[in-house]
Amino acid sequence: MKTIVLSIVLIIPLLALGDEADMSTSIQEVKKQHEASFLDMPGVVSVGIGLDPNGHQAIIVGLDGSHPETKAKIPAILEDFPVVIQIVGPLKAQ
Amino acid sequence: MADDLNTIRGILKSNRQNLFKRANVVATGVGYKETGGARTSTLCIVCSVKKKVDAGQLAGQDFVPSAVAGIPTDVVQTGVIRALQAPTDRFRPAPGGVSVGHVAITAGTLGCWVTKNGQKVILSNNHVLANSNDAEIGDSILQPGPFDAGSFPQDHFANLTQFVPISFEGEPSQCQFANGVIAVFNAGCRVINSNTRYKVAKVQAEDNLVDAAIATPLDPADVKDEILNIGPIQGTVEGELGMAIKKSGRTTGFTTGQIQQVDVSANVQYGAGQIALFTDQLLAGAMSQGGDSGSAVLDENNRLTGLLFAGSDTTTIINRIENVFSALGISL
Repeated sequence: MKTIVLSIVLIIPLLALGDEADMSTSIQEVKKQHEASFLDMPGVVSVGIGLDPNGHQAIIVGLDGSHPETKAKIPAILEDFPVVIQIVGPLKAQ
Repeated sequence: MADDLNTIRGILKSNRQNLFKRANVVATGVGYKETGGARTSTLCIVCSVKKKVDAGQLAGQDFVPSAVAGIPTDVVQTGVIRALQAPTDRFRPAPGGVSVGHVAITAGTLGCWVTKNGQKVILSNNHVLANSNDAEIGDSILQPGPFDAGSFPQDHFANLTQFVPISFEGEPSQCQFANGVIAVFNAGCRVINSNTRYKVAKVQAEDNLVDAAIATPLDPADVKDEILNIGPIQGTVEGELGMAIKKSGRTTGFTTGQIQQVDVSANVQYGAGQIALFTDQLLAGAMSQGGDSGSAVLDENNRLTGLLFAGSDTTTIINRIENVFSALGISL
């Protein structure tokens, strides 16, 4: 009986921790979930994590030129994280 | 004063040849005479010498007179004066930051010296040392690279030791299962007398972490374990957002920048329309051009943080050094 009570007491905090981790998805996870679909859009050559003009962590989508149709498809915010579009140019092995 | 200067210039011009005949003289010019380490206001003819020698040890004709046509002289020890070497020159021993390349490529940059199995080897990109997978272990590496007039065998400097293959989009698949399925399918095609055959190609390439290779020098005496215009490496450090960085490369020499993005996934073009997807990269602003590939990237304290391999006019893409070290089994 003692063992069971002790186990329950130990398990509860673990469950609580698990819940918390589910609540806030990290920017790395959000980026990972969406980067393949970004990279499939015409002109997108990179997806990374940087800072927006206000200094907040942001998902940075890099284009190889101006692609208005692609820009229109990229949301400004993705699961609470800002998305910034940058023209990084065609990336070539140097 | 201007008259004095012009007069002295005239006198120097007519005596220059005579001064250069003297042993150890490497340069002549007009300057202020120094006495006891302090500059005086007296203009004089300055003779720079490889080494200052006591008058008693010099033959008479080698001695720089205390005055030439009434103008005092000063003798200053400068050592041998050499032309500053460009990164595209031949270097023996060779530091990081200079031109290097597989015999079949143009030229890239020798990043730095690292250790593999207790031996010093050069680190650069696969596309610099291993011709983007199109090379055999043991192939010749030239310093400088072929584009910088490096030729075989005169400039044969190292041999390719190891490279991390780059996975390109649309390459023949290495997947045994898919190839097995297609082999059965093609057998079926044969049975029904169809002339059609299928092969498996990757639609999406596997992720690449690094574009990296190493080569072993022919002569251990050619190792200069530092980086041109930077100096010795002081350990390694993980690249972080906002970190100030620098590199020394074959084309743009010494440049600085800042890590603007981390955790970058990027599609990079290689010649002949090949594209490779790289993940877990660092991204910086403009700090490189073609030929800088392979440059070692360091932080402000000369700690190694990355291996430069790609970019555009505005952007530089860098492998994390920890990924490079683990992929090749190397250390500093």
